Amino acid sequence: MNRLAVPWERYRLDNGLKIVLSQDRTVPVVAVNIWYGVGSRNELPGHTGFAHLFEHMMFQGSQHVPKNKHFELIERAGGTLNATTWFDRTNYFETVPSRDLELALWLESDRMGWMLPAMDQEKLDNQRDVVKNEKRQRYDNQPYGDWDERLQALMYPEGHPYHHPVIGSIEDLDGATLEDVAAFFSTYYVPNNAVLTIAGDFDERQVIDLVQRYFGEIETGAAIPPLPGDSRLEPIIGDTVREHILADVPLTRVIMGFRIPPYSSEHFAVAEVSRALLGMGRASRLYRSLVRERRVAKGVVTYAFPLLTSASMLLTWATGYPDSTPKELEAALTEEIEGLVEAKQREVDRAITLMETDLVRALEHVSERANLLSMFDLYFDDPDRLNHEIDRLRAVTVDQIRDFATSQLGSDNRALLVYEPKRNS
Amino acid sequence: MSGLDRTQPPPSGEIRHFDFPEVQTGALPNGLDLRICMLPRLPIVSVNLFLRAGEGSLAEGRAGTAVLTGDALEGGTRQRSGSDLAEALEGIGARLGVSTGWEGTSISVSVLADRLPEAFSLLAEVVLEPDFPSVEVDRVREQRLAEIRQRSMDPSALASDEASRRYYAEGLPYARPQGGTEASIRSVTRDHIRGYADACYQPGCGGLVVVGDIDPDQIRSLSGEHFGAWVGSPSVVDDFCVNPETRERRVWILDRPGSVQSELRVGHVGVARTTPDYLPLSIANLLFGGTFTSRLNLNLREQHGFTYGVRSRFSFRSRPGPFTVSTAVGNDVTAPAVREILTELETLVRDGPTEEEVDAARDYAAGVFGLHLETAGQIASRLNQIIVYGLPDDYYHLYRDNMRAVSTDEVTAAVRAHVRPDEVQVIIVGDADSILSSVEALALGPLQVV
Repeated sequence: MNRLAVPWERYRLDNGLKIVLSQDRTVPVVAVNIWYGVGSRNELPGHTGFAHLFEHMMFQGSQHVPKNKHFELIERAGGTLNATTWFDRTNYFETVPSRDLELALWLESDRMGWMLPAMDQEKLDNQRDVVKNEKRQRYDNQPYGDWDERLQALMYPEGHPYHHPVIGSIEDLDGATLEDVAAFFSTYYVPNNAVLTIAGDFDERQVIDLVQRYFGEIETGAAIPPLPGDSRLEPIIGDTVREHILADVPLTRVIMGFRIPPYSSEHFAVAEVSRALLGMGRASRLYRSLVRERRVAKGVVTYAFPLLTSASMLLTWATGYPDSTPKELEAALTEEIEGLVEAKQREVDRAITLMETDLVRALEHVSERANLLSMFDLYFDDPDRLNHEIDRLRAVTVDQIRDFATSQLGSDNRALLVYEPKRNS
Repeated sequence: MSGLDRTQPPPSGEIRHFDFPEVQTGALPNGLDLRICMLPRLPIVSVNLFLRAGEGSLAEGRAGTAVLTGDALEGGTRQRSGSDLAEALEGIGARLGVSTGWEGTSISVSVLADRLPEAFSLLAEVVLEPDFPSVEVDRVREQRLAEIRQRSMDPSALASDEASRRYYAEGLPYARPQGGTEASIRSVTRDHIRGYADACYQPGCGGLVVVGDIDPDQIRSLSGEHFGAWVGSPSVVDDFCVNPETRERRVWILDRPGSVQSELRVGHVGVARTTPDYLPLSIANLLFGGTFTSRLNLNLREQHGFTYGVRSRFSFRSRPGPFTVSTAVGNDVTAPAVREILTELETLVRDGPTEEEVDAARDYAAGVFGLHLETAGQIASRLNQIIVYGLPDDYYHLYRDNMRAVSTDEVTAAVRAHVRPDEVQVIIVGDADSILSSVEALALGPLQVV
């Protein structure tokens, strides 16, 4: 049974910009969402963190929009806005009362077409400071704050596009120039490298004309250059690689990463469902065993990253109690993960039922519909995938999960970070 | 070329009128307030049960009992163990959430519409027949203690806890962390939790909110079936007056050697949710530090690059909660950032906001209100506010009109009545060696390194 029927239509402008429309007039709210096919994986050596710094620059005005005006106009309309940068993509989004759809299109089109004339050194220096403070606040000044940088370095070899973290390094941020901004813009921020989704309350007779009017005259760009570095990768790590970190952290934490098939692979669904068996909800294996029954972990976290390039990552972590030893925590985590070779059908049913509720709840927001439609269109050229997400997960069998546990979750495919509190405090 | 004039933002289209959805109000014979709202857009339902069992009614030595009791609810019922309960809920795709605050405890379930009757029955079982097995109580206590340890090394949590301690007179509930202290949590036993649930998980002064793809008659009948026989009122209610610890401006540096940033909190005791100045103060906060284009953020982030972001907030509670400016800034700009925050506070109080700023904030508040009427959960949480703070039934139906009616003079008056730059406590969590002398040089008032 398929409960989801999110309507969508698709167009493509002559300049290559892909458009997805999804109407829902129940609430007078509309979401505008753009995904650009560029992220930290496109960064050249010595330029780590640049895709994210560039995202900040996109809010510094464009030819017809003075600095701060983007925020000011959207907030004045009663809208919300933001952007995020990740490994494979960068997204920009506004949710506004539907009467202000045209305002959002004006703002997004102006920075897609006419960003560079507004750039100057002062803005770059200002946003570089802001981003450095973001790095300090979210990573450097936080217990465990360097985990992703360390884990990526363990899982992906030097030269692989996922070897370095999205936030980058202070030295590379310091080296960023206005010329870099210009080159990045002309290479990646082109209509043929983007998907624009509009979801929610709009007039279907006018919307395509509006999009054509605002985005149609933006010039198409050259073909997107291949990824820098070497993306070739074995499907498994080949060993257990580990790092032991004595640090100013409150509690022992064991973090395990496993290479899994990329998001584009049909086998990714098996990893997603396996992850849900392990860590989604309180009836999951890790919560039930480590947190509730054995009480060796205060909490567990699991995640299957939807990454596109050669291999993605399944992440699990367990945080101990003040008297936990790293060894017992690692042993307990390993035992439960390996135990997935005996997964039961009942666990699969539970996981899929829970994932279905979560998806329906996410789709209550037009902003989330827009975001998913953009992603499916950019990544897979298939917005309708949204309506088949649950079918895709439901097709996963318990045997596939058992096989996955054998082939991907063993000691030959493990990157381990062990954080242990310094005992001087 | 299309000949499009890009130099001016396009005008807004016609406003599409949209009301807060219709709500059916009622009550069960036991006094439980019942609010039902049909939202048939997607096949999902949010159920929220609010009980007046909050941290604000607990004595200092028992702080954290309400939170621990809420945590321990997932430990099982008289009918099934904690694991079986989790299986039963998640087997029908239901998400159970318990959140405990100063005013009370909210137990909520989100579930697809066709599994609602089962979810409703499980919710009732959790609330009416909790078992609190010792082993589960021990676990949630250990988890809270570990949480407290984590907070003690998290600069943001440290700063917020220190701010509460410095704003409020010693011994007041709001002076302590909402989840209790290490000493108080250690002293809470299974018997305390059992006793607390018996005394305070009562329908009186509570409410049940159901929003989503539902049939109201079915909800009334489910409510009667599961909660109709339940009678009683909480035996403890929050009853305290709020006083500031001091009216003198002071600076507190919490030394965290090696910090690469300073976490700042600047503020004092604010106002209660029931203040008649709620709307003007909300507007004042939006333009001062509640939006991206607020005075504080444009100054500290977009002009100076001191921070990733800065926010101000009135925490409106049943009693006066804190008014606080929060940010994290680089070590070398700590003193200048504190100075800018103080100057912004002083300027706001001295000159008041401009007509243009108030206009913009009013428009934002009225517009963004509509953005948050999309989901069952959002509407349920609004209706819950009506119950928690005793707001009029038509509060959200009139919200936008009332917000748009606020004048600049009213905003200025509210700011002058409730913001006191001379009385702020300045809390800095950071590397004292790097920041002490420059902060001292600001000469803001007595300074203490703790």
